[in-house]
Amino acid sequence: MIHTFRYHEKFYVYDTGSGSLHECDEKTARHLAGEPVPMTDEELAEIADLKAAGLLGAPETEARPIKSGEVKALCLHVCHDCNLRCKYCFADEGAYHAAREMMPLSVAKAAVDFLLRESGNRKALEMDFFGGEPLMNFGVLKETVLYAKEEGKKRGKKFLFTTTTNGLLLDGEKADFLNEEMENVVLSLDGRPEVHDAVRKTVSGKGSFDAVIGKIKKFVQIRGDKHYYVRGTFTAKNLDFSKDVLFLADEGFDSLSVEPVVTGIDDLAIKEEHLPRIEGEYERLCDEYLKREAEGRGFNFFHFNVDLEGGPCLQKRVSACGAGNEYFSVLPNGDLYPCHQFAGETEWRMGSVSEGLTRPDLRKKFATSCLFTRKKCGDCFAKFICSGGCSANNYHYCGDVDEPYPITCAMMKKRIECAMHILAERKSREN
Amino acid sequence: MIKTVAKPAEKKVTGCGECRSTCQSACKTSCTVGNQSCERITREQKIEKK
Repeated sequence: MIHTFRYHEKFYVYDTGSGSLHECDEKTARHLAGEPVPMTDEELAEIADLKAAGLLGAPETEARPIKSGEVKALCLHVCHDCNLRCKYCFADEGAYHAAREMMPLSVAKAAVDFLLRESGNRKALEMDFFGGEPLMNFGVLKETVLYAKEEGKKRGKKFLFTTTTNGLLLDGEKADFLNEEMENVVLSLDGRPEVHDAVRKTVSGKGSFDAVIGKIKKFVQIRGDKHYYVRGTFTAKNLDFSKDVLFLADEGFDSLSVEPVVTGIDDLAIKEEHLPRIEGEYERLCDEYLKREAEGRGFNFFHFNVDLEGGPCLQKRVSACGAGNEYFSVLPNGDLYPCHQFAGETEWRMGSVSEGLTRPDLRKKFATSCLFTRKKCGDCFAKFICSGGCSANNYHYCGDVDEPYPITCAMMKKRIECAMHILAERKSREN
Repeated sequence: MIKTVAKPAEKKVTGCGECRSTCQSACKTSCTVGNQSCERITREQKIEKK
């Protein structure tokens, strides 16, 4: 499948079969889009050469998803409670529509044992400390890391740890520990103070920006070259979110991700009528992103990365995220769910870390759910990049893990086109 | 005029499953498999550079 698109005065052709990106003139783009445009022999020969090289109009290979049966990652909900009351929180302000509770160390250790047991021959394992706010249960987090490292070493396996935190409890000891042990740290900060404070409130109802900004800055400072992301959420209230991304960049953060909200709250939810504004916003961000990069003050925006040259293999691209098959969430009581976004919805409970996986039917569903079971993705240019989207979002918005949500798709496609434009501009700068 | 901007590197290995879990990234809500890199190719490139 050939996808042609325009970015300002530039025209691009993305070939889904080969995964190649080409830049062309308007006439060629229109010709490739099927318009009756008169082409010279020379122009047609250029196109024929690319086709002969397998870089244009290449057939799409049907690959089977990866089904190793190995569990590679767990998301540990070490704390189903939070010290913030963010309005848009999909996790019900940390409680996940149940009692506020902490994961005991015995459950966390059983989760480590479960992962070691179920990971087969896999050497690299991933464990994400999530909440609620995981630093509210820092003692268990710390002990779990030490236990996992020790047990992993005995079995020749290595853990890569991630923590997602709102930063409120990020004092010296915790900061030092996370910096030392975490492969990645995700720090929640929405952007401009007024935007952040409107939704990310403390238990007493006060905005939390002033309480976290200094701690997050300090942590990023000690982090040095190690991975981190300052991660924000945008809602219908700040559709001018490029200003928030740039605010964060101006505050000195150089690894950023600002995501569309997942919520059913009417005045915050992203709706179809917001899409033109959001698409324009991604373009504004993309232009400024490139400008800053050219001036030597660039930063990394998560969704503007697309690795067309060294990206994942086709099997990975069709396998989607692996939730419910190679990735699970563990609740404070040890119950297993396909991922954090299904947590607490009891129809999706798949077992527990002590009893193991007890729903082979659900596991099979997730293991076989892939790009090719997401029928609506068939004629989409983005399919080998997004893999049919987030199973949980698909389910929550459309009632089926294999039914992509059109609003998410539209945003995804725009981000991918921006990422491709960035790639082309970088190449052109290099040459 | 049409010129190639990027094309995938030839892959020696496919489907090894060494890649990281997509959801362990920065987003947790809008995972994008295509902005990950192949773990094995990345590791091999690091070794080659050394």
